[in-house]
Amino acid sequence: MNVILCALGLSYAGMASLSLAMDRHHGQVWGRDAAINVRRALQVAGAVLLALAIWPCVAGWSATVGFVAWVGFISAGALLVALLLPYAPKLLLRSSLLAAVAALAGLVTFLQ
Amino acid sequence: MAWLHTWCGLWISWLLFAIFLTGTLAVFDDPIGHWMTPEHALEEAAHANDPPPPKVTDRANRLALALDFMEKEHPKADMWEIWPVQRPGQGLSAYWFQPSGGYGSAELNPLTGALVEHVREENQRDTIGGHHFVDFHYELHAGRIGVWIVGITTMIMLVALVSGVITHKRIFKDFFTFRPAKGQRSWLDAHNAVAVMTLPFQFMIAYTGIAFFSDDYVPAPVVAQYGMENGKKAFLSDWNDVGKPARIGQAMAIPDLESYALRAEQAIHQEIRAVVLDNPNDASMRVCMYGWNEESDTLKRISANTGMACYALATGEQIAVRQPGHADSGPAGLTRIVMSNLHMAGFGGTPIRWLYFFCGLAGTAMMGTGAILFMVKRRQRAGGEFGSATERVYRMIECLNVAAIAGLAVACVGYLWANRLIPVGIEQRAGWEVRAFFGLWLLMLVHACLRPEKRGWIEQLALLAVLCVLLPILNVLSTGDNLVAQITRGDWESAGVELCSLAFGLLAAWGAWKVHKRKEKPARKAAAKERGAPASLQTTMEGS
Repeated sequence: MNVILCALGLSYAGMASLSLAMDRHHGQVWGRDAAINVRRALQVAGAVLLALAIWPCVAGWSATVGFVAWVGFISAGALLVALLLPYAPKLLLRSSLLAAVAALAGLVTFLQ
Repeated sequence: MAWLHTWCGLWISWLLFAIFLTGTLAVFDDPIGHWMTPEHALEEAAHANDPPPPKVTDRANRLALALDFMEKEHPKADMWEIWPVQRPGQGLSAYWFQPSGGYGSAELNPLTGALVEHVREENQRDTIGGHHFVDFHYELHAGRIGVWIVGITTMIMLVALVSGVITHKRIFKDFFTFRPAKGQRSWLDAHNAVAVMTLPFQFMIAYTGIAFFSDDYVPAPVVAQYGMENGKKAFLSDWNDVGKPARIGQAMAIPDLESYALRAEQAIHQEIRAVVLDNPNDASMRVCMYGWNEESDTLKRISANTGMACYALATGEQIAVRQPGHADSGPAGLTRIVMSNLHMAGFGGTPIRWLYFFCGLAGTAMMGTGAILFMVKRRQRAGGEFGSATERVYRMIECLNVAAIAGLAVACVGYLWANRLIPVGIEQRAGWEVRAFFGLWLLMLVHACLRPEKRGWIEQLALLAVLCVLLPILNVLSTGDNLVAQITRGDWESAGVELCSLAFGLLAAWGAWKVHKRKEKPARKAAAKERGAPASLQTTMEGS
């Protein structure tokens, strides 16, 4: 269960971060375009979160199965973001922050 | 490139929708089959708390009993296969190649070796269960012709995927864009979003689906190697049975097989599942021991191959060994097995199945939104593609849209209804369930042709909603089992089927309501912004 929550949380938060780096979606949440350094920061954060999502997958399954699962979780995360953005952009922001924090904390369990 | 995508996509979208929806349901063919055999499920539930049976310690005796049985009953068969400890249930089974072709099988009493006669129980619900969806999605219940139709359709799907990516000029800019309640724009957004975000899955599932039947779809290499006459048969026997020895005609008694089973377990580190004896009682005799995949094996490996070790019985020499997950026909063989299992989601356990289920639904939504988008676009501005027949062709496309999307979904849940409504014990009961599926689908097509488009959508979606939402009630009335009881006893397979059915029912009801609220001429701005849309992938399908 931990594996799924971690992988899904990181994928969702990563995709949310990437979406908020785009002017259209940045505007949906904050009503203005993103400043260039904010955009860069969001892009880097998104890429790092997505890359980290492979960790619980590989730890929970194996390199081969984990990779397949990772691609699936990334798709699921992206679909969630696209579905939430038009209906509840603020909720997207809050829930993705929460997901990022919780999932990063959950990663600790894979350290052993 | 846009016309290629539009026209390739349109003509195959209805069939692909059916292939994808049934294929997605096929991910959970076991739970569906479990729900469709409630008598068996309830019996299983009654024994759920029994302690696990003790470990079998008399395997040597079981092997000897099965050999005696084969010696007496089928001495001429040139392959004997014994499963000394079946799972679950720890039974004893024997299989053999019949001289007339085909596979014979017998269940034996593990203590006496006597044949266990299976009388067909009166209350047994004869059904093919979830396999209906599996069979339909790759062969449309039409045998080899169906396999070819599905294969060609899938090839065109790959064309539509590639041309779709090229046509979609703003693939990164619009990556997360979904603008609901904006008519044609929303349909295009939804079509793009589900396709782009699950693109790796859509490519993988289409490609591995074709690779699965590569020796059917690309027969030339096999013909070149083995010739036209019986080529496929020779190829398959080579493929499945590397190094099968030829008979030499010298008699030889069968030695004790238990010692070989123990040796094989040392070699492959799996418990022995099947003992396959080639050329019994001949000096060329070979025995191959196959292992059981434990759950941990299938969790961590994509390849479903179990371990195997073969011995020449004349010399006692180990002639082949295959570690679990490896393939005995080299890297090409391993690739093929991985491709197949990648398609069937036979690895990684339940979470992977759910990922496949949702990605499959996204693919289904991709076909559905694409087909609907075609007509939404042309209702805004007719394209006049078919000259004077345009209006008639459009009407036909509308009918097919309703029947292929809503109608097929009705047929799928109708199949589950048929399982409960068709009396138990009638002749060819399993066949009647499948006939009910096709009959209902045909009925929906007729209905779609007779009713105006909007009414057609509303009525079929409403029917779908009713059938889905009432499915748990039907179960209570027909078997007395209910959702709460299923959850309490931990039967998540049955509960999962009914909960999913409820979810689909609510979605369909929402869809019917949305169509009902739609103005006849699609207005530029939709009346009111919808709130509280269910956060599921399929919502993108129904948004207006």
